[in-house]
Amino acid sequence: MYITLDGVSRQYGDIWAVDRVDMGIGRSEFVSLLGPSGSGKTTLLRIIAGLEKPTQGRVLIDGVDVTDLPPHKRGVAMVFQEFLLFPHRTVYENLAFPLRMLKLPRAEIEERVAWVVGILSLAGLEKRYPNQLSGGQQQRVALGRGLVGRPKALLLDEPLANLDRELRQEMEVEIRRHQIALGIPFIYVTHNQEEALSMSDRIAVVRKGRVEDFAPRTQIYDTPRTAFIAQFVGRSNRFEGMVEADGTVASDCGARLAIPASGLAGGSRAVVFVKNEKLRLDPAGTAPAGATCLPCTVKDVILRGAYADYILAFGARELNASRPRSERAFLAGEAVTASFDPADVDVFDSAGERPS
Amino acid sequence: MKRRFAGPLLLGIPTAFLLALFVLPLVSMVVLSFWRTENYHIVQDWNLGNYITLATGGAYVTFLIRSLVMASIVSMVSVAIAWPVSYAIILYGGRYRLLFTLAFAVPFLTGEVLRVIALQGLLGPLGLINGVLLSLGAAPLRFIMYTNVASAIGLVYLYLPIVVTVIYLSLLNFDARLIDAAKIFGASPARAFFEVTWPLNLFGTLIGFALCFIPCLSATLAPRFLGGPNGTLYGMAMAQQFGESGTWALGAAMGVVLFLTSILAVLAVCLKVDLRRTGFTGFGRG
Repeated sequence: MYITLDGVSRQYGDIWAVDRVDMGIGRSEFVSLLGPSGSGKTTLLRIIAGLEKPTQGRVLIDGVDVTDLPPHKRGVAMVFQEFLLFPHRTVYENLAFPLRMLKLPRAEIEERVAWVVGILSLAGLEKRYPNQLSGGQQQRVALGRGLVGRPKALLLDEPLANLDRELRQEMEVEIRRHQIALGIPFIYVTHNQEEALSMSDRIAVVRKGRVEDFAPRTQIYDTPRTAFIAQFVGRSNRFEGMVEADGTVASDCGARLAIPASGLAGGSRAVVFVKNEKLRLDPAGTAPAGATCLPCTVKDVILRGAYADYILAFGARELNASRPRSERAFLAGEAVTASFDPADVDVFDSAGERPS
Repeated sequence: MKRRFAGPLLLGIPTAFLLALFVLPLVSMVVLSFWRTENYHIVQDWNLGNYITLATGGAYVTFLIRSLVMASIVSMVSVAIAWPVSYAIILYGGRYRLLFTLAFAVPFLTGEVLRVIALQGLLGPLGLINGVLLSLGAAPLRFIMYTNVASAIGLVYLYLPIVVTVIYLSLLNFDARLIDAAKIFGASPARAFFEVTWPLNLFGTLIGFALCFIPCLSATLAPRFLGGPNGTLYGMAMAQQFGESGTWALGAAMGVVLFLTSILAVLAVCLKVDLRRTGFTGFGRG
């Protein structure tokens, strides 16, 4: 592995912000650290950068133990949420900064800055100061400053959080493209699952200083390892209930849910997640064979363009379904049957673990 | 309606205040400097006599040069002390930061005369330092007894709190995460300081320098009580024109010279420093 975290922990007072993290990141891998705020993902990134020292554990980059190396000797670069461009330097000088620190000859500095100006379409902005740029332009310069020195790895700390949605989606594509072109590892910290899912090879879900799971993005989304991941990634309907003797789950909201063979003992508690897009809608009265059917009333319909999000009333609780617009549309007030296949649910035991 | 008057009102009050209490006295001083005084009377005939005296009377030129040197040295020493002090307060002050900064201003509560006299008690021939040295049988430190060095120590003591406060405020507004950014991109801690911390706080440092330099130039108390026979500074000599010697017109001319010197000093600094290179954003976007 190109970057290795070996039992890395960081303690603040009584709190372990990062708790025994082991990770291996490949030479040209795009990895996201995904977690809610305060989960320790930024601390983990700062430990890799050298801005924070681990209380325990080691950090290796390209086979070298860098645990005790200060940030300026690690050869990694970083892109910050608040951009942190040098306000007293022009765009050109900001981009040339890492190269000047490498003591490169002037001609090579000019050449490399020109390269990065080219790939990030910053032409014409070289003489401007950061406060004369828009937020999107500032973030491109910050990205350019991160790439220009050809670092061993690029660390990105919520780099798109301060940009508006449209710009964010544009940048997602662009960031991923540069990562593939340069073939260096990008480690991307975010609390936004869409960003993590859109760009990453693998996603590490971070919770309370621990890595809950570190797996390919499809696996994180399709077969979450814990209830926390199922809750945090994607949008789901959550049911809690008692496992019956016949293997179904009697949910607390009064439904009987057919689940796949789970190995959960009858009488134990279970948590069941059904993703919004796995909840099928049919006119009231129809009952797809083998599926769990829940009679509902449509409360509201939210158009998302290609999709419609339905808010359904099932007894006293709400369910959410997300259906393509190519399907039959339902109107608010209409009675429908919401159903799902046993194969499409994720079941966890009362501790939130997938039963084995 | 309210909005339309608020702006002119808020700007109008200080404008009127400045006109009445600053510009008018300044104009009257300039006028007075072109008149002359005779036997404690002002004679209103226009002449350049005062300025000729100031330019040719060797003593006045000496006083001015001595004042400039003194003010420069005192300001530089104050900045050199204030920087590490403010930086330490920012780094290690924690939630007592403000308290530490205010502690520097405590001597202000006693008044300038008292502070200078207290220093006299410390530095003088029978003062604390030399008293102890003498009682131990050692030779007293002559260079702090009624000398320009004593004067300089006094001035640093008087104006250091202002410089510390200004540099502290500058550092407080400085985004220290920029240092992290510099380090990540390959700057050693020392390099990060000179690439980022120093230039981005240069503007604040210059303000601190000016707020020390200008009052030092016209200082009267410190040189009078601590400076000794060769310690006369320009401001002190000027005060004498309005006091014992009663040559008000000459004093007014000295005042004009001081005013112009201060302005020239500030202008010289402003022309040399490109504010953009200090991260100053007071120009707005564009």
